[in-house]
Amino acid sequence: MRAARRGRMLPYILLSPLVVFIGALSFVPTADTAVEAFFRVMPLDPPTRFTGLGNFRALFANSVMLTSWVNTAVYVAIGVVLSVVLGTVMAVALRHRFRLRGVILALVVLPWALPAVVEAVIWSWIYNPTFGVMNSALHSAHVIGGYHVWLGLDRWLTVLLIEIVQVWQITPLSTLIILAALQSISPDLYEAARVDGAGATAAFRRISLPLIRPALAVSAVEALVLSLNIFDQVYVLNGIAPLGSSVLLQTYVTTFEDLNFGGGYALSLLTTVATALLSLAVLALFYRRAEAA
Amino acid sequence: MIAEAGRDERTARAVARIANGRGARVLTRRPARVLGRVVTIAVILLWSLFPIYWALNTSLSTLTGADATPAHYFPSPLVSTSYQAVLGIGSAANGGVSGQLGRSLLNSTVESGVSMIVTVVIAVFAAYAFARLQFRFKRTIFVSVLATLLLPAYATLIPLYRIMASLGLVNTYLAVILVYVSGFLPLAIWILYNYFNSIPRELEEAAFVDGASPMRALLRVVIPVARPGIAAAAIIAFLLGWAQFLFPLVLTSDLSTQPVTVIVAALNGQRVVPFTLLMACGVIAAAIPGVLALVLNRYIVQGITAGSIK
Repeated sequence: MRAARRGRMLPYILLSPLVVFIGALSFVPTADTAVEAFFRVMPLDPPTRFTGLGNFRALFANSVMLTSWVNTAVYVAIGVVLSVVLGTVMAVALRHRFRLRGVILALVVLPWALPAVVEAVIWSWIYNPTFGVMNSALHSAHVIGGYHVWLGLDRWLTVLLIEIVQVWQITPLSTLIILAALQSISPDLYEAARVDGAGATAAFRRISLPLIRPALAVSAVEALVLSLNIFDQVYVLNGIAPLGSSVLLQTYVTTFEDLNFGGGYALSLLTTVATALLSLAVLALFYRRAEAA
Repeated sequence: MIAEAGRDERTARAVARIANGRGARVLTRRPARVLGRVVTIAVILLWSLFPIYWALNTSLSTLTGADATPAHYFPSPLVSTSYQAVLGIGSAANGGVSGQLGRSLLNSTVESGVSMIVTVVIAVFAAYAFARLQFRFKRTIFVSVLATLLLPAYATLIPLYRIMASLGLVNTYLAVILVYVSGFLPLAIWILYNYFNSIPRELEEAAFVDGASPMRALLRVVIPVARPGIAAAAIIAFLLGWAQFLFPLVLTSDLSTQPVTVIVAALNGQRVVPFTLLMACGVIAAAIPGVLALVLNRYIVQGITAGSIK
């Protein structure tokens, strides 16, 4: 009987560490954010008191905050489109077996495995206005007449170049997810298309694309969440200047530099809700298209 | 008889025609296609590896070589002084940088190593329960845990800092490790859950027939078979831990706990450390995850694609 009771308790024993960790360090903090966003929380200027929508009003009145929202929207747009398109191109190029494919795949995944901060420092050297290889290479190729200051002058150029650093890191994720989907398609389908006289392009559009839609959706959502959360690359390549600032950078600055915790909570809550809604929207979009196709 | 012979002949001719036709087309199409593929792969490799090569190139150059205009694409002369400087070797040693780099590498190793072990141990037991055992609220707990995969860093950053501050844990390994484990658990569980589901139940049922308890079946039968899945979860947790920046930036405040990512960003932010030394630090900070990713690539690919296609 004791053994039977232990058997019934076993799942809960196995799960208890997980529940404690996720409960105390994910659910409680998330709920805390949702509540404290409506409070004035200033560690250096107590007391904490209820302000209703006060924190949110202050956020929308702040021009730097609006800049960082628009920047983040651009980071996300570039990040999702580029990483999914590049990921698809790479997956198609790597789908067939050939010599050294394993090695090449491992090398392609490398940027994903390295710390984003280190990568951003490397790219800051590539973008360097005086000694950077980007200036040197483009100048040698006669693409540019003189050396440019790439970062910190033009807002959209800065945002684009910073997002390219992130795209470089996250594209391997899309590549692997899409590659796995491509490889699960039966070769018979392509053989049948070839017999019917379909070329490579038609086969890709009619067979591959509809069947990898779920994989495209998953990689789009991954890119969405990662680029909405862009921080490391912005911190290194832009600093805390408003020009290229992202929402997460503003959350950090508001909370830990300005010590306005309430403002940080409100910003966190808004972005969490935005992330959830956008993820669901992307998934719905891709799946509805998949059903229609 | 004659008709049959005729049919055989026709078939043979048709087969020959198809074979020839195919052969001819492959021959005419091959060079262009192969060239196209080689060029595509070369461009992909250039895109993926050039920044890494560039860091290596600069770290092995002299300061004059690294600052040359137009840029030198190979180190000339090739020197190891930057590495001696940041590793504190010989007369080139840069005490300030090497002290910080060495300690922060130790911190990164402890923080990501311990989080990896704790994450995998907790995740193996939980994923086994989700994959094999029946109990109340199973679906609710499972879905709630996986839902945190989509929870951005925003949602928990400030409260986690305040929790750690109120417990007096800011600037300790423990705070960093607790936060990492809670962040990596959902992904590890997802990878292991999928792996356990791919293992045939007959294996455990044989153990049950022999009188083993579910716990014993897990330890003696399932875990040994699931080693590749466990390796995938472990390596991914380690790489994620090594790459963390925002959470340690908030949770650590001095060299006793700051990981290498925070130190590299700080050295870069000082604007006085030359790029040759910065690149050497970057290469060293990236070497451990880089080598692991190359050697254990199979498990990373498997972990990332686990269950992404449904």
